[in-house]
Amino acid sequence: MDMIRVVNGYKRFGKDEVLKNINLEVKKGEVVSIIGPSGSGKSTLLRCISRLEKMDDGIIEIEGVKIDNHSEGGILRRLKGNSNKNSSKVGMVFQNFNLFPHKTVLENIIEAPIIVNKMKRDEAVEIAEELLKKVNLFDKKDFYPSKISGGQKQRAAIARALAMKPDIMLLDEPTSALDPELVGEVLNVIKDLAKENLTMVIVTHEMAFAREVSDRVIFMDRGEIIEDAPPEKIFENPDNQRIRAFLSKVM
Amino acid sequence: MQYILDVTSFILKGSVITFKLYLVTAIFSVPLGALCALGKISRFRILRWFLGLYTWVFRGTPLMFQLFFTYYALPVFNIKLEPFTAAAVTYSINYAAYLTEIFRAGIESIDKGQYEAAKVLGMNYAQTMWRIILPQTIKRVIPPVSNEAISLIKDTALIAAIGMPDLLRAAKEVLVRDFTITPFFIASVLYLIITSFIVLIFRKIEKRYSVHE
Ligand SMILES: Nc1ncnc2c1ncn2[C@@H]1O[C@H](COP(=O)(O)OP(=O)(O)OP(=O)(O)O)[C@@H](O)[C@H]1O
Ligand SMILES: [Mg+2]
Repeated sequence: MDMIRVVNGYKRFGKDEVLKNINLEVKKGEVVSIIGPSGSGKSTLLRCISRLEKMDDGIIEIEGVKIDNHSEGGILRRLKGNSNKNSSKVGMVFQNFNLFPHKTVLENIIEAPIIVNKMKRDEAVEIAEELLKKVNLFDKKDFYPSKISGGQKQRAAIARALAMKPDIMLLDEPTSALDPELVGEVLNVIKDLAKENLTMVIVTHEMAFAREVSDRVIFMDRGEIIEDAPPEKIFENPDNQRIRAFLSKVM
Repeated sequence: MQYILDVTSFILKGSVITFKLYLVTAIFSVPLGALCALGKISRFRILRWFLGLYTWVFRGTPLMFQLFFTYYALPVFNIKLEPFTAAAVTYSINYAAYLTEIFRAGIESIDKGQYEAAKVLGMNYAQTMWRIILPQTIKRVIPPVSNEAISLIKDTALIAAIGMPDLLRAAKEVLVRDFTITPFFIASVLYLIITSFIVLIFRKIEKRYSVHE
C-alpha cells in the first residue's frame, strides 16, 4: 500500500492553474525530494497533501484512505472541520518554522500530544525530552523560540512534528530561511530520520542533499511533474531540457 | 492640613460610585468585547454584519449621548433604569465596542503560519484559538487596552450629567461652598494617582506576557 497517492491532481488559484495532472506515489520508508523553479507548485502540492489546501480535482489518499476535501473558505473556516483523524499521520515542517512564540521549546513539543491526543503531561514530557536529545537540543528546552538560532528553531519544529508520531513527514524548504552555516545541522537531523525509514517528502533547493538522501527525486515545473526518477538519473543524466536548464542554474 | 484631609475624604466618599462604575464596566466590557471579536471573525455573515453595525454606532456617537439615551430616552419605551444601572449598561456596551475592534485587530495580526502549524498538529478551531492564537493576542492588545482603561477613568466624570455623584462633582461642590480651588487640586491629584496605578498594573501584565521576547 502506498503511504501517499495522488491521482490526477489539479489545483487552481482563481484562473491560475497551479497544479496540473499530478500523479504521485510514495511508498513506506521512501524519501522523495521535490525540486523545481520558484512558483512551480512544490509548496502547493505539499499543502494539499497536508490538507492546508484543497485540490480542485483528483484524489489524495493517505495510507489508503482518501482525504476528505474540506469546504472552501479561509483557514479559520477550514480549521473548524478538522477531524483530527488523518492529520496526525502527516507531520509538516515549514520554511519559517511557525513555532509558537509564547511557548518554550519543550512546551511547543508537548502541546499537541497533550491537547490533541490527551496524553498525560509526564508522558508527553518524557517523549519530548527524548526527541530533543535526538535533535540535539535538550539544553535549549526551556528557551523561548525568540532566544534560539534559526537552525535550532527548525530542529525544534522537527521535534514538534515528530512528537505526534507521524507516519509521513512533509518538509517544505526546511533550510531555506537559515544562514548557510546553520543548514548542515538541520540537514543532518533529516538524514538521521531518513535512516530510520521515516517516509518523507522534502521540497528543497539543496541539490547535494537531495541527491544524497532521496530514493526518488521529482522535478516540477509550471505545475506539472516533469520527471520522477532516482537521483542518479536526474542529476547525472537528465533527458529533459528544462531539468538541465534548472540544474545548470542552481548548481 | 486638616482642611485638605477633610476635603480629600469628602471627595473620596463622593467617588465611590465612580470606582464601582469603573469596576463593573471593566468586568463586563472585556469578555463582551472578546466574544464580539470572535463573532466578527466568524463565518456567520449576519452576525458579522450586526456586530459591524454595533461597533459603528457605539464608536461613532458620543458616550454622553448614549448615556442620555439609556437614561432619558429609554423610559419613553417604558424601560426605566436606575441611574447606576443605566450608566453601567451604557459604559459596558460602549467600551465593549472599542474593545471588540481592538481584539479583532489583535487576532487578525497573528501570523497565518500559527493557524497552519496548529492545524497540521491536529488541533481544532477551539484548541487553536484558546491555546495558540488568543494568548498571543493578549500580549499585542495590552497597549491599546491600557489606553482604554485610562480613558474610562476620565469618562466616569460624565455620569454627573445624569445627576449622579462622582469624584469631579464632589470636588465642584466643595469649590462652590468654600470658594477655593484646593478641591480641584485634590481632584486632579486623585485622578493622576488612579491613572498611575492603572498604568502600573498594565506594565506588570505586559511584563508577564513578554517573557518570551
Ligand atoms: N494562496 C494563494 N493564492 C493565490 N496564488 C497562490 C497561492 N499560493 C500559491 N499561489 C501561486 O501558485 C503558484 C505556485 O506556488 P508555490 O508556492 O506552490 O510554488 P513553489 O514551487 O513552492 O515556489 P517556491 O520555490 O518559490 O517556494 C505560484 O504562482 C503562486 O503565486
Ligand atoms: Mg514553496
